[in-house]
Amino acid sequence: MSSVVAFSVFGVDWEFLKPYIVLGLALGGVYALSGTGIVVLYKATGVLNLAFGAVGAAGALIAYWMVNHTSWPHWLAYTACVVFGGVVNLLYGVVFGPAFAKRDPLVKMMGTLALALILLGIMAWRAPAGGAFVRVLTLPSSSHYYTVFGARVNLTQILALAFAIALTVVTTLFLRYTGLGTAYRAIANDREITATLGVPVRRVEASAWLGSGLVCGAAGLLLADLYTSLDYTALTFLVISSLAAALIGRLESLWVTLAGGLLVGFVQSILTPYGSVTAYRAATPFVLSIIALLWMGRRRVVVFAPATP
Amino acid sequence: MKSRKRIAGIGFATIVVVALMVAALMTGGGTAAPKAPYYVGQAGYANKAKCGLGNKKKAHGTPIKIGTINMLIPGVDFTTIAKIVNAYFQCVNDNGGIHGRPIKYIQYTEQLNPAQQSTLAHKLIQSDKVVGIVGNTSFTECGTNWAYYKSKKFTVVGAGVQAECYGKPSFVESNMGPRYSNIGAAQALLKRHAKTLVVASPSTISAYADQGVLKLAKQHHVKGVRVPVTLPVTDANSIITHLYQLAGNGGGIILDFTPDTAPQLLNAAIAQGLVDKVKWGSSTPIAFSGMAKQFPQFDNKIFINNEFSNLTKNAPDSNLWRAVNKKYAPTVGFQAFGQMGYMDAKFATMALLKIKGPITAKSYNNSIRTLKDVKTDILCKPWYVGNLPYHIPNNTDITVTYNKGQVVLKDKCFQIAPVDNSIKQTRIWEKKYKLNTK
Repeated sequence: MSSVVAFSVFGVDWEFLKPYIVLGLALGGVYALSGTGIVVLYKATGVLNLAFGAVGAAGALIAYWMVNHTSWPHWLAYTACVVFGGVVNLLYGVVFGPAFAKRDPLVKMMGTLALALILLGIMAWRAPAGGAFVRVLTLPSSSHYYTVFGARVNLTQILALAFAIALTVVTTLFLRYTGLGTAYRAIANDREITATLGVPVRRVEASAWLGSGLVCGAAGLLLADLYTSLDYTALTFLVISSLAAALIGRLESLWVTLAGGLLVGFVQSILTPYGSVTAYRAATPFVLSIIALLWMGRRRVVVFAPATP
Repeated sequence: MKSRKRIAGIGFATIVVVALMVAALMTGGGTAAPKAPYYVGQAGYANKAKCGLGNKKKAHGTPIKIGTINMLIPGVDFTTIAKIVNAYFQCVNDNGGIHGRPIKYIQYTEQLNPAQQSTLAHKLIQSDKVVGIVGNTSFTECGTNWAYYKSKKFTVVGAGVQAECYGKPSFVESNMGPRYSNIGAAQALLKRHAKTLVVASPSTISAYADQGVLKLAKQHHVKGVRVPVTLPVTDANSIITHLYQLAGNGGGIILDFTPDTAPQLLNAAIAQGLVDKVKWGSSTPIAFSGMAKQFPQFDNKIFINNEFSNLTKNAPDSNLWRAVNKKYAPTVGFQAFGQMGYMDAKFATMALLKIKGPITAKSYNNSIRTLKDVKTDILCKPWYVGNLPYHIPNNTDITVTYNKGQVVLKDKCFQIAPVDNSIKQTRIWEKKYKLNTK
């Protein structure tokens, strides 16, 4: 039995704020998840993947098609979404990764932007939006509801948050204690020397692309549900919130990225009931990124994760 | 070097294969709107209504140019209206055109950039040399271009949204716009004893679109709140929770969004368990069966103000609209935007056919302004233009709801509450100049 805590925060009752905390953390969990995928890939390959959202959205569309237009089991559709993310990322990494390996980070990033635009174009061509028809992809977990601190939350939202935390833990342990994780860190330090030491750099990078892509597919599935509409354009550009989380983590620290993602989701949600600022919530990722960068810049030297040369 | 080229070639081929796979896999996954059902009038195809001359002869010769500017932004797509205008014009061209001449419809889109809107209006009139502008719909284009259209003596027939569309002489709309549609939805909720009225619209139009509801709430001594929502919506769950908190149990929430955005909010309402806690209202855009099929949870629980007749109505203009939609714009599902486009095109065609001499910008726009008592089964009352300082010809409507995958009538034609002086004045002019007497 919980007691009612009666106080207000800047004029809004605490009881009214509770649902936004829960909603914000759920969405923030997915941003953190995506942010982790972006950071791991960046550490291993030096590529800031702007196609993260588009790949997830395309995977979600494929899952939608399988669920609504075939008699295949739904778990197969969800698996296909995740696998699609891994395969597309892997193919891109294998084909274009070596070609861009020695280019500067901006060029590498623009390459992924091209992938995002190609996928967006294919999605708009084969699955045009509008025309009084809306696609919705609701996961089975969304039909299970619970009350947490007086707020209604569904299992998908809980899973999103739990998955983000679990992924951060697993990835941290992976990077620290496994041979492959050590290889990632070595490549992040100096790709050429790592190659000289006999580490199969391309294979390691390919595994990073694959792992990041699988996370991408999972994030696409969760976001399509949490977003309450399979709008692939909007889902593609939700990568901005994930990038904000990655930037807050300086493209280096997974735990700070997790915190950053949760913070972006939390702040964006908690501002909803405040009429004077609610219209500006969409700017939350940008504002928090700027604050983080300014905070880091209070020292003379700001160190980001060094790009793989 | 050779191996790199080979890898790049294989890679390129792989990317193409994957792209084709993606394309193939997405085939049928909602690539087009669901096939629109076809309804035939009792006497057969399209009864008395016809496209233009209705003589089944292909038009030829120098085309008559008509233009349009439609807003297209993330979360809102108004080009649907232009697609149906174009469909009707194609039907006219297949049925004798305008005394033998075809209509050429020039379509532009804009993204809420005033400079772009102004440039496009100038382009249509000065470069493309259109004789008329038909089908315009935007959050802000009326405000940007009304003075220019007035200077050129153009009367734009469109589907309005913002205040200038209903407050300046340069425009006459087939719809009543979100302000009056929201008032109609509020009337429906008050009739059903809503304790509060909370209205949410896109932030770009909220200040205008929602004030009418607040006025009505004040008149009825209930709490009224407006909530501007920034598009595209990225956290529908938070927004719907906020609306519910403002409305309270038994309160009324009016959603004023197009089908691009409304489903997110309705889904969020379902996810948050709010469907039965408040009374739901909406403006017109979501009054179609596709939404009814997607949201059975809202059967008889959402009261949508419909500025036009029910989509399934069996009557001449309604039948012809559906036939034209199906034949010439098959990827567009039946919806209110389609009815707007049909009427815009029909009225423009009537004006063109009335012209006795050369068809010029002057003769067409003069002809448009003479239209009155135009009866159509898609509207509650006859439509008109007239030489008025502003036009609100569509100010009577119905309420519909969802029921077993269909949209059904709840309240028959009723007048929008005269909370605005402009509505009161409009009704005075209607009587004085006999604008809609039939």
